[in-house]
Amino acid sequence: MALAVDHFRRTYEGASGAFTAVDDLSFTVGAGEIVGLIGPNGAGKTTTLRSIAGILRPTAGVVRIDDHDIVTDPLEAKRRLAFMPDEPHLFEYLTVAEHLRLVARLYAVDDFERRSTALVDELELNGKEGSLPGELSRGMRQKVVIACGLVRNATTLLFDEPLTGLDPIGIRRMRNTIVARARDGAAILLSSHLLHLVEEVCTRVIIMDRGRKVADGTFEELATRADLVQAGSNLEQIFLHVTGHGS
Amino acid sequence: MLSASLYIIVCSARNRIRVRLRRLREPRYLLGAIVGGAYLYFSFFARMRARRAGDVRRRSGASGPPVLALSALQTTGASLAGVALLAVSALAWVLPFDSGLLDFSPAEIQFLFPAPLTRRALLVHRMLRSQLGLLFGGVIMAIAVPSVSGYARLRAGIAMWVLLSIGKVYFTGVSLARARLASPDRRARRAAWLPVAVIAVDVVAVSRALFSVVLSRPIAGVQDLLTRVGAATSSGVAGILLWPFATIARPFFASGIAAYAGALVLACAVLAAIAAWVLQIDAAFEDAAAMAAERRGAAATSQRTAYRVRRGSVALALRGRPEGLFAWKAATQTLRVVDRAVIARLVAVVTALTVLSATFGRANGLATLVGTFALVATAFLVLMAPQVVRVDLRDDLRHLELLKTWPVQAPAVIRGELLWPAMMLTVASWATLMVAELLAGSTPIGRIGVVWRLSAGAAAAVLAPALVSAQLTIQNAAAVLFPAWVPLGSQRPRGLDAMGQRLIMLGATWLLLLLTVLPGAIVALIAWFGLRLVLGPAAVVPAAACCAAVVAVEVLLATEALGPAYDSLDATAIERTE
Repeated sequence: MALAVDHFRRTYEGASGAFTAVDDLSFTVGAGEIVGLIGPNGAGKTTTLRSIAGILRPTAGVVRIDDHDIVTDPLEAKRRLAFMPDEPHLFEYLTVAEHLRLVARLYAVDDFERRSTALVDELELNGKEGSLPGELSRGMRQKVVIACGLVRNATTLLFDEPLTGLDPIGIRRMRNTIVARARDGAAILLSSHLLHLVEEVCTRVIIMDRGRKVADGTFEELATRADLVQAGSNLEQIFLHVTGHGS
Repeated sequence: MLSASLYIIVCSARNRIRVRLRRLREPRYLLGAIVGGAYLYFSFFARMRARRAGDVRRRSGASGPPVLALSALQTTGASLAGVALLAVSALAWVLPFDSGLLDFSPAEIQFLFPAPLTRRALLVHRMLRSQLGLLFGGVIMAIAVPSVSGYARLRAGIAMWVLLSIGKVYFTGVSLARARLASPDRRARRAAWLPVAVIAVDVVAVSRALFSVVLSRPIAGVQDLLTRVGAATSSGVAGILLWPFATIARPFFASGIAAYAGALVLACAVLAAIAAWVLQIDAAFEDAAAMAAERRGAAATSQRTAYRVRRGSVALALRGRPEGLFAWKAATQTLRVVDRAVIARLVAVVTALTVLSATFGRANGLATLVGTFALVATAFLVLMAPQVVRVDLRDDLRHLELLKTWPVQAPAVIRGELLWPAMMLTVASWATLMVAELLAGSTPIGRIGVVWRLSAGAAAAVLAPALVSAQLTIQNAAAVLFPAWVPLGSQRPRGLDAMGQRLIMLGATWLLLLLTVLPGAIVALIAWFGLRLVLGPAAVVPAAACCAAVVAVEVLLATEALGPAYDSLDATAIERTE
């Protein structure tokens, strides 16, 4: 499996005591699969993605990227992973082109110039190569983050709300990009509140609520699950039902 | 708008105090507050008490020493300070000074910008809002005044408050006007150039007056210099042109209560005039000012520093060690704040000044001044700057979420983060050291023999990178081990507890530096004993090299040892300031 999460738990220590954001979460994402990770606010989606990306350390459990443990073998795991967070995080003093070059050096990208040019075209960043992040709109910054993630050959792609800030054309292109990467064999985990996007591009969906997985399967599997038959056939109805807002 | 402004100011101040009191429940803040409080007490209040007790014992008469140490300059002090203020006012047009008055907070942008308020009202709001900080500056000044009299402290504090307010408002005006110096709008351009012309006339007239008195006959000493400069700048055309600047400074030098009150009223009048000027130019540049404020405000939400892409940026090589990548990144960051042309000009000025001092300046003390300054600058660059210059992990903790996703070994990250600031400070310290060596004959170290002086200089040059790297390692180790204690980027946490934390960090840094250098110093001592008979004074150079080598090994070992701590460093451990 490209991505395997096994009994993952993440607890935050705060002034008012410990808080478990994610508890006993297990799932896998295979090559070519697009898995949607959905849940209400505070369900633990972003914590899960950030832990898989190596930003947060799991309190318990194991996260493996292509059989490389993110805690015990972080370099190999990170080489195979690309994380596109919801909040575009860029170095405010580096230009778009310099960000791509930085990533190319970090991940020893072969054929960087060709890949970079193609990506700039694909994400409509032409003419912005010399711009600093402060000079770009939020949507453009989001595209830069995505370009940095796609400029290398990552086997596992993590998208956290990838469409935030994009215009309708950008949304359509991004959707096509995600699908194309999966077709090329990448394992994709996509977190979004846009259920129609998840329904449209994902091959499977994981629903989280209050730090726990409450549903996992293809749309057909979920729609025919005994306890969800009453919910309805579309993802929104299933989502509302399993998160206790069905009525 | 005034009532809304006051409401925001009062609520912000009240909530800030609440937050600061509440955070004292955390041990690190409590410890910081205790240390900060103790520092204030022992530095100022306890010393004041001791002085008072001493005064009582001495039973000095009514005609005792003046209340303010500066009162010796009562006659010429205001004019001299006026010259300094004129210089700062002129420099404000050349250097990228910024008052920060237009740095609207994200909340202010969110609530006040769409509100039915004029630009003028927004500016007045910012002026009012800045008063608390300026008042605090005045209070610190009042505490720091070397005087036993509470009245003198109060006077100095109020005068400082007015001075800081004037500075804040003036720099804002300069920022607004500077942006319109090349405006296509003639009216706006004229309004922007007018103050430049006024300041230029002032500078020329005062400089002429100063040169004429300085060059008229040889200077007998500092007292003579001050008297002559004071006389030249308090009379004639220079005196008239310098009047607003001297007026701002006059409250600091006024002797009696009536003179002080009068001086303060006049200083406030200057403040009112400058505020009126700013409001007027703000109206003249309405659109530009609004755009600038919005741009600044928007930038403030994500970043404080203004970066600019300049020509001739060095491209990152696509292959190489990760340390090089970090050094390139930090160098790019530095060079996007500081223009290379500015650095080139600075180097040219220092070189010219050094050559001038070495060839003509020895007779009239210029060499002494420049040489001593270079010595002090070297000491600062080696011993203090590593704590101040934060183009390393202390700044990059802001980007920890990004760095943590990179496939780079933790020790390489830490070494890479140290590389650029270490190089930058070392080169700067070598430059100032070279100037100090060239002019050493005129400085206090001129009494030392030439061979010893050159040997000591070479040894200092060898030691500088080691000392700089050691301190940077200590600072970055603190960032990795105690991230919550380290302010992120250009953040400056405020409050007694934050001051205490800084003092603890300073003390710990110095202590750790001593401990780091100690093994190297012992090896250096042994080397010196072994070589001194053969090499004489020059033996300090290989001895220093031994010390530097030991420190370099320690730094390498420390970066390796910090690896696991960096790996386990959690993004949630990083604290954003209030």
